[in-house]
Amino acid sequence: MKLSLLFFLAGFIVVLLQTTFLHLFPLGPIVPDLILVLCVYWGLNHPTVGAVWGAFLLGYAVDVFSSPVLGLNAFAMSLVFLAVYLSSRRIWIHSPLLSAAVVFFASWVKGAALILVGTFFLAAEGLWIGVLKYIFLEALVAAILAPGVFSLLRRGQSFLEEVRMPL
Amino acid sequence: MLAFVRRNQVLLTSFFCLLFSLYILSAAARGRLRRDPIGPLLLELMRPLQIGAQATVTKLREIQQGYITLRRLASENERLKGRTLELEAERNRLLEAEATNRRLRELLEFRSQLPPGSLTAAVIANSASTWFHSFILNKGSADGVLQGMAVVSPVGVIGQVVAVTSSSSKVLLITDPHSGVDVFDQRSRARGIVSGSLESGPMMKYSKRSEDIQEGDRLITSGLDGIFPKGLLVGTVVKVRKKSFGLFQYVEVALAVDPSRLEEVLVVSAGGAQPKD
Repeated sequence: MKLSLLFFLAGFIVVLLQTTFLHLFPLGPIVPDLILVLCVYWGLNHPTVGAVWGAFLLGYAVDVFSSPVLGLNAFAMSLVFLAVYLSSRRIWIHSPLLSAAVVFFASWVKGAALILVGTFFLAAEGLWIGVLKYIFLEALVAAILAPGVFSLLRRGQSFLEEVRMPL
Repeated sequence: MLAFVRRNQVLLTSFFCLLFSLYILSAAARGRLRRDPIGPLLLELMRPLQIGAQATVTKLREIQQGYITLRRLASENERLKGRTLELEAERNRLLEAEATNRRLRELLEFRSQLPPGSLTAAVIANSASTWFHSFILNKGSADGVLQGMAVVSPVGVIGQVVAVTSSSSKVLLITDPHSGVDVFDQRSRARGIVSGSLESGPMMKYSKRSEDIQEGDRLITSGLDGIFPKGLLVGTVVKVRKKSFGLFQYVEVALAVDPSRLEEVLVVSAGGAQPKD
């Protein structure tokens, strides 16, 4: 329960950060995608039904705050979670460098999903033209941030699990 | 069946979420999504926090902007300081050039009044001794400087060339105790020899007690020594003392030229100059 609360709080903070403070970084149009990092973390370290809904809701929150239509990011985040979850069942990912690599590729998955679904549902032709550079940069920034965010979440998770143990 | 669902609940939920989001997307894209219960709730929930956070972001952005502006101003300030120094150096250079130009023009005008064969030279070194007053010029025998030539400036007499090499020459200054210039009192035409002195400054020697010499009188070269052209200012009389005995009177002189401040001089031949052997 405490862990769920922690993740709920983390999701809340991440959405808040992503809609406010992260715009302070001088990265031009690129906004560091902490929501994606959190979804990847859940897919790797906390693959539960709650985390699936969490990923969906985080994507939905992005839709609410920034997407022209609802469901676009919800789909992309759900797909990211699923892809990471399926990968984590086959490979053991624990080092910060590998987690950064997973976040990097997850970012590409998200980008591809947005382009495909956008093209299909929104008839946004040629959406992918010129967007690859931004996907790459977004993936790079997310990958750079991933080890730090993962470390914070792991500490929080292990702290709560230690607290829970004696009970 | 239930065991399969339990075993694959994450996978199944994920698929459900994917399909659900596609459904939402499809409905939203067609404009059929009439009611969105989560969106407004999320917006309402986040609103106060976002307002607070945005205010902080605005403040931070202001600070960031202020810092950037400050850095820019600091850099601009540094640049302008450098520019000021450059301009100051340029100004000094120009003032120096102007002063040199003025001095040289004066020398040139003065040179036209002197006998032919006089030349301009620059002081390149000063005396290395307290006991002897001399300086070195940048012109020597190769330039036409001869031992015994007079060294003057537009203001007055400076000294005499006492040694010459091919490219430089040594000048014994009028302030040296070993120098001597034959002079007239411009007013009374009283004669004497102006010479340097270590203890009391330049003196006019060998002027008879009966000669009329007064304080403020101008002393000019007589031209009789064959070294200095006639009529050049040597100095002015500042003090006259006549003792109750002796042939001569005691005359203190303020020289017209302070040799320690000279940079360019004229080397003049008055006829008595000798080529160096």
